[in-house]
Amino acid sequence: MTLTIDEVAKKTAAFLEDKWECKIDVTNIEKIFGGASRETFFLDVEVDGKPRGLILRRDPATSLIDTERELEYGAYVAIYPTDIPVPEPLLLENDPDILERPFSIMAAVKGAISDVAGLDPDQKKRIGREKWQLLGRLAAKNPIELGFDSFMEVPELDQCASRELAYWERVIMEDQIHPQPIALAAVRWLKSNLPPPAKKLCVVHGDYRSGNLLFDPGEGIKAVLDWEMCHLGDPLEDLAWSMDPLWSWDDPEKAGLLLPHREALRIWEEHSGLLVDLDAFRWWRVFASLKALAIWISSAEDFQNGESKDTILALAGWVMSSRQNRILLDYLSPHAAGELNGVLA
Amino acid sequence: MDRLLPDLDSLYYQSDGMVMGLLMEAIADEVATGIDRRMKDIADMKKLLLKGSHTHNADAAIGSDPLSLSLKDVNQLHDDLTRHLIELQIKVEQDGSREASELNKDIWLYLETTAGRHLISVMG
Repeated sequence: MTLTIDEVAKKTAAFLEDKWECKIDVTNIEKIFGGASRETFFLDVEVDGKPRGLILRRDPATSLIDTERELEYGAYVAIYPTDIPVPEPLLLENDPDILERPFSIMAAVKGAISDVAGLDPDQKKRIGREKWQLLGRLAAKNPIELGFDSFMEVPELDQCASRELAYWERVIMEDQIHPQPIALAAVRWLKSNLPPPAKKLCVVHGDYRSGNLLFDPGEGIKAVLDWEMCHLGDPLEDLAWSMDPLWSWDDPEKAGLLLPHREALRIWEEHSGLLVDLDAFRWWRVFASLKALAIWISSAEDFQNGESKDTILALAGWVMSSRQNRILLDYLSPHAAGELNGVLA
Repeated sequence: MDRLLPDLDSLYYQSDGMVMGLLMEAIADEVATGIDRRMKDIADMKKLLLKGSHTHNADAAIGSDPLSLSLKDVNQLHDDLTRHLIELQIKVEQDGSREASELNKDIWLYLETTAGRHLISVMG
């Protein structure tokens, strides 16, 4: 059985009335497109007559990313009191009987957008600077002091790279519909060229890109979203992911369509207090593209086997895979011109 | 999208419709030239596997043709040859000889060629 959007609204209102012991009216509900790992809904509610915006994130039948909601919710709880802006986490419900699947509820961040394509050049610079400042500040934090060790595995510094590689290699091997010669060549290269141990252990967001930021073009970044791939690891992992050429498709000179790569690096170094080892960073860039390709391969498998017919899975599995293979070739092939390889050129 | 589907007042369904449009265009491209592109891959991979036959035996796959020109049958041979190509590349990577290195470069050239051949034009 699949709930209609009106049923989701009614059942959420009943759930909140029970939890908050007050009158709840849902006055508006909208499904948000592109919630690749969770079904996401925006709700306008009245709590005892006072208006409030909420975000409901419901586990999908399948998703691009197989993640544990408790880890994601735990990350929101741990980060919320810090200077990294995230939506306020309100409730986590693991009982699948209420909305057919487990879900979480957060406060909505109103009046903010996530599409950087429409920004003017000055706004792009401003959001870009703040984007890598925030990532640098996240890298500077001690995850143990934030309590992450109470709900996340703490890897040794010399295991950060190999552990992530092993995880995503397994995803590729399990989910590939067709053999993947470029992905497997990348895995072999990564295994043969493992980077030195991480300089420090940090909170890795896991999907830090412009599309996962909510911002007001005039006021700056209001929230960093989508912590479902959050884990502890090497600070270079997020930095490399944030600069993957996939996120700057139309403007390869600009990391995340916002800033020149070297400027983004400089800002990150300034705010993290860490220096980027470019050889290690090259490893993490190749890894970032392999991880993205693994996600696209996994989404294609989900779509093909019928677990979901969400169009975003088909788009990711087909179109994104094609692009990500090109990026890996650009990194690894002896014939590559390196045109996508901005920061390393 | 508003002009094509004026009744879609939900941003979610407008976005979904837009993605469907992109996918339909990509599918149309696959229907038109997908088999031809795979057959070119198959011919290229057979040449490479023949060249590397002293390193990796793929004689049965090299001597095979698709049972039909249906996508399923063409994909089956394409996948079989690709698996052999992966094994060949692993072997030439481990072999330090100049000849192996040259063959490895040829394999990378093929990977570039096939990635370009299957580039999905709707997204640039």
